[in-house]
Order: sequence, then structure tokens, then C-alpha cells
Amino acid sequence: MTKPSGRSLKAAAVLLCAVCAAFGTGDASIPRSVKRPSLSAARQARPFRVEGPVRRRPGAAYAPDRVLVRFRPGVDEAYADGLLRSYGFPAVRRIPGIGVYSVKTAAGVSVTETLAMLRRNGDVELARPDRRARLADVPDDAFFAGYQYALRNTGGILAVTPFLQYQTTAGADIKAATAWDSVKGDSETVIAILDTGVDMTHPDLAGKIVSGGHDFANDDDDATDDHWHGTHVAGIAAAGTDNSIGIAGVAWNCRILPVKVTDQTGSGWYSWIIDGIVWAADHGADVINLSLGDLIDDPFLKDACRYAHDKGIIVVASAGNDGTEGVFYPAAYDEYVLAVAASDFNDALAAFSSYGPEVDVAAPGVWILGPAPQWYVGTGAQPYLFASGTSMAAPHVAGLAALIRSAKPDLTADDIMKVIRYTADDINRATAPGRDDHAGYGRINMTKALAPYIID
Amino acid sequence: MRLGRSRIRAGLVFGAVIGFAAAPAATTGLAAAQLNVRSFSAGLGYEYLSRTVVWNGDTDASRLRASLVTARADFELDNGIVFSLSAGLAPTDVAALTFNRLPIGLQYDGAPLTGFVFGAEAFVPVHRYSDFEIGGTGRFVYSFGMEKTWPLEDFAVEGEAKGSMSWLEAAIGGRVSYLSFERIIPYLEISVRWLHAGFEMTETLGDLGGTETKRVDDLGFGIALGADADLTDRLGATVKAGLVPYSGGVDGLVTVGLLYKF
Repeated sequence: MTKPSGRSLKAAAVLLCAVCAAFGTGDASIPRSVKRPSLSAARQARPFRVEGPVRRRPGAAYAPDRVLVRFRPGVDEAYADGLLRSYGFPAVRRIPGIGVYSVKTAAGVSVTETLAMLRRNGDVELARPDRRARLADVPDDAFFAGYQYALRNTGGILAVTPFLQYQTTAGADIKAATAWDSVKGDSETVIAILDTGVDMTHPDLAGKIVSGGHDFANDDDDATDDHWHGTHVAGIAAAGTDNSIGIAGVAWNCRILPVKVTDQTGSGWYSWIIDGIVWAADHGADVINLSLGDLIDDPFLKDACRYAHDKGIIVVASAGNDGTEGVFYPAAYDEYVLAVAASDFNDALAAFSSYGPEVDVAAPGVWILGPAPQWYVGTGAQPYLFASGTSMAAPHVAGLAALIRSAKPDLTADDIMKVIRYTADDINRATAPGRDDHAGYGRINMTKALAPYIID
Repeated sequence: MRLGRSRIRAGLVFGAVIGFAAAPAATTGLAAAQLNVRSFSAGLGYEYLSRTVVWNGDTDASRLRASLVTARADFELDNGIVFSLSAGLAPTDVAALTFNRLPIGLQYDGAPLTGFVFGAEAFVPVHRYSDFEIGGTGRFVYSFGMEKTWPLEDFAVEGEAKGSMSWLEAAIGGRVSYLSFERIIPYLEISVRWLHAGFEMTETLGDLGGTETKRVDDLGFGIALGADADLTDRLGATVKAGLVPYSGGVDGLVTVGLLYKF
């Protein structure tokens, strides 16, 4: 861990060129960004039929007259059949291949009584209610189904360009669609994006902006993006969702507070970031996203993070893109900030993702589609681009933090940080079971964090 | 502490219900000292009740269902007042009750929780018209001691949830009985029924934890048809079936009892 030679902010007025590093990728095989998703790629989304969201169907959580049973290994089929018949179940059906029986309960006997009866039998390995499944809340955003593997990965091809295509793994995602069944957030919950600013006129963001924010680089109240990074990050966290255009944001209904803390080159002074954190904390932020940082520790930056944390704000930051040991600050302020590593469309950790004991969780950060200013991508192009980096991973976590805060306003920032950590999926358990320095507790799982755990 | 308050509440309700039911007896001018037990019966009873309620903090209704299996004793006094006392077990099902304020929301979808139950009931005859008798009824049932712990699995740290529940129901109403049959007394009963229930869920997940208490107070009215029958000179049976309507549906209650008269 590198220590600054001087503690004074001025003396340590290191121009954070490294902020730029947080924006790009340390992996040479992955371009820093693809400014213009090809028109052909954009058009691929159009022919898809777009259905409205499928709503929750009211009704019982499980079938009132049916249960599912599996016998222990070694119990032969004839014996199991006979045993089930002996209970007087009017209908018993074996599902081939997995040795599970679908059993109709006896007249007048409830599902819970039937389950209790079966579970008392030593030959029964598992007896469960036949639960009702429902289609997840799927937003109708044009690029959701085809490109946002991070939110819902069905295992298809991710076509970044016609020449850059990847096979993805189903389920290597943050389980957003099923989580949205439970929580979509509310518009009172605000995510401050401390970055290069936000394109407040972008069609996927205009309706989600709280105010003009503040620009600490130019010292005015107009945090308009003069780069592309902040717009992209803001969109990942909370783009307009279910609005039929562009992408879906993680925090469906939550809003964005733009705070510009870097200049048009993508670098900024620590003082701007410190000012930005304090300003956001004092102007209604519930979550602060910092997709930036550097390896230089600074006590004033830490103080700012503590200030926000102590006000109940969840501070999320990217771990860094050096691909080496050493988590960026402010992500490395473990008590006050969630440090986010990057995973990919196969739930593998990104090679560029920095690591260290401060890493809390991982989130998708490879080839993430997000909004970009129209002027940046050029006239006629879709105002979206693919980018990679822990910068892209962090806003997924910030969006989740905002949804938790929306649903459970009584939880403290510490509680929400723990919920995010403890509900993560241990994606690298084969090589490093449990918490580790590369993925932390694992890739975030929105459904586990937001949907109720069923006690049965 | 919470359980203690619940028991105090149960005691107060018990007193109020029995006091209210017994009030008509006082108006007849009978002194308690003059009352003798005319008959004493003991036996077993089964009761099923369901109440569809909206727990505090919820927007959707869920159903509380209880099956009471009790030992029961009935005392009939000289003036026709009948007191019943019962005690036993009561598996209670609160399917789909959700604790959304916990750090990790929990939905209770498990087997019924079994607790102890005790109850008291009184019937006070007030007036008789020809073959019909009008009386007042009061009833109180309290179930407690329902506790269970569940492991919380598939998280990055170990955890468990611990739930405890209690409920009580009190009912006051009137009964019209038809007395012209020799061995059976059918009746129609209308009652106001108050249900109070509390379910405390405590969650622990590593160093993360929380407690959420769900409560419900629900007032409804019920209408029931029942009959008390003498099967033999010593053996009696009681049955009752009723409905408790609520907005959008109807809950049910069923009581069956078998009593031996001493």
C-alpha cells in the first residue's frame, strides 16, 4: 500500500491522471471503449418483438393439492411407488431422469400436513411444496434483452460488434429481473454520480436527473458531461427503465444527482472529489458512486467518505483497473466504502480488476452497454457505447444499494453494505472458496438481497 | 417482556369476556353463593378457525389458520349458566407472512407452528319464549409458546431466523336455541369476534441482524349454527360450524366436542 510522502492536500496535489486508469482497462486485449456501437449492432435489437412487462399474478405461493418428493439414493423405484401409494395419495407421477415424484395430496389433507408426513419417513430425502413460478418483471428497454447480460444473462451471444462476439453463460448476471419483482425503488432515493458529469439531455437519463448538480472542475452548478464516462456510469446505475428505449438501469425508479469532479480529460484533483462527496452528502444523496480513484491514500479523502457514511449514505467505489494487488482509494477505505471488482459474462473475474483485502464484492464490468452523449458518439449513431472497467462494475452495486435503501429506509449504511456482501454469489469458490481478495464475497445477487428468503 | 405484556392482555380480555357474559346473571338477582354446579362434563374438543387479516405494514391479506385440540371441562350451574374451560395444543399456520423490514426479507411459508392454547367460554340464558331460549355467549382463546428456529442457507455467512408467535381471540354474542327436541338443542349464534396476533421474527446473518414484529388486530362478526346433543345419558356431543365474512371472502370455523357427564 503506497503512502503519500506528505499529508497536506496541497502538497499532495497530485493530478490524478490515474483517474483515467480507472476509466479504462488494464487488459490490453480489451479495448478501453468502443465509442460507437455499430449501427448493425444497434439495429439487431429493433426486430425483436417487445412485450410489456409481465406482472405478478396473484394467487397461492404453491399448489394447494400437490407436493414434490425425492427419495434417498438406494431406494428403488418400485418400493418408492408402493410407499407413496400406501399413503393413499390419489395420484403419483414420477418425473423421469431426476427421480422426483409429483404427488397429489389426499382429500382433506393439506400440503403442510402431507409434507410433514413425508418428511417423517426416513426414506424421503426431500419433500417440497410445488411452488408457483412466474415470469420476472422484464423491462421493455430496447437493448435490455440483447445486450444487458449483466442484469439478466440467458446464455446467448453478446455481439459487441459484428467482429467482437462472445458466448455468455446463462445465469452469470446480477439477477436483476427477478429482484425487480420485489423492489423497483422509488424516485425519492437518489444516487449521486461523482464523475465527469452527466448528459442531462440524454433520452434515457433526462427524466431521472434530480437537478443540475454541481461542477467542481469549473465551479458552477452545471454538471453536464464533457467526457462520456459519467453519463455511462449514471445510466448503468439508474437509466430510465421500462421506457422502451435504450437500456435498463439497475435502480429502476431511483434518480441521479450529477456531480462533476473531473475535467474533460477525465482527471480531477482530490480536492474536487472531497468537495463532491461532501456536497452530495449535503444535497440529498442516498448513495454515492465513485467510479474513480488512485493508489494514493489521503486522510482528507477518507474524512469525506466517513462524513458521507456517517450520514447514512452508502458509498460505492471501483477497485481499480490495474489488474494487480492494490485497491484504489477511496474504494480501499474499508469501513466506509464498498470496493467493487469486475466480473464478466461468464462470471469470471476480469483480468484488469485490481485486488486486495479491501475488495467487498464483484459486479459485471466487461463490455457493459451504457448511454453516452450524442455529441460524443456522433450524429446518427445510437447514443450508447460498450465499455469495460471496474468503473462499470461499481454502478451496478450503487444501483442495488439504492434499491435496498428504497425498500428498507430504516437500515443503516453499514447494514446495507453487509446485505450486499453477504448475499453475493461466490463465483470463484472453485479456486478461492469464501471471501477472497479478488471477488470479495462474490458477484452481487440482487434477488438474494431484495426478494424475501422463504422459510419452509 | 413482550410475551409478558401479551399474557397480561390475555388475562384482561379473559376477565372482560367472562364478566360480560356473566353480567345477565347478575341482573336476575341471583347471588353467587346460591349457585351450585348442576352438572360437570369433561371430554375432548377440536376446533378449526381461519381468519383472513392484513398484518401491520402489509398491503395484502393473508390467512391465519389454527387447529385446536383440547381437553375440555364444562360446568353447568343451577341457573343454566354454562362455563367451559379448555387447554391443549394449537398448530397455527400463517402462510406467506412476510417480514420485509428485516435486512434480508423473510417469507414464512413453512409448516404450522404448534403452541399451547387455553380457553374459556360461557353461555348465560337470558330469556325463554315458548320453545326458544335467548342467551348471551362469551368466549376467549389464547395460544402461546409457538417458537421455532430456521437456518438461513446459501449466504456468504451463516445465519438463522427465529420466530415466536402468539394469538388470542375473544368473542361476544347472542344465541337463540330451540328446546323442543328431547336430546338435541340446535342453536343459531351471532358474535362479534376480535383477533389479536403477534409474530416476532429475529434474523441473524453473521454480524448482521434485525428483529421485526408483525401484529394484527382484527374485528369481525361471525354467524354459526350448532347443536348440543345427548348421545346417551352420560355421553354428550357438541358441534358448531360458522362463517366469518370479510371484505372479499368468508372465513370458516368448526367446533366438535365429545363430553362425558359426571
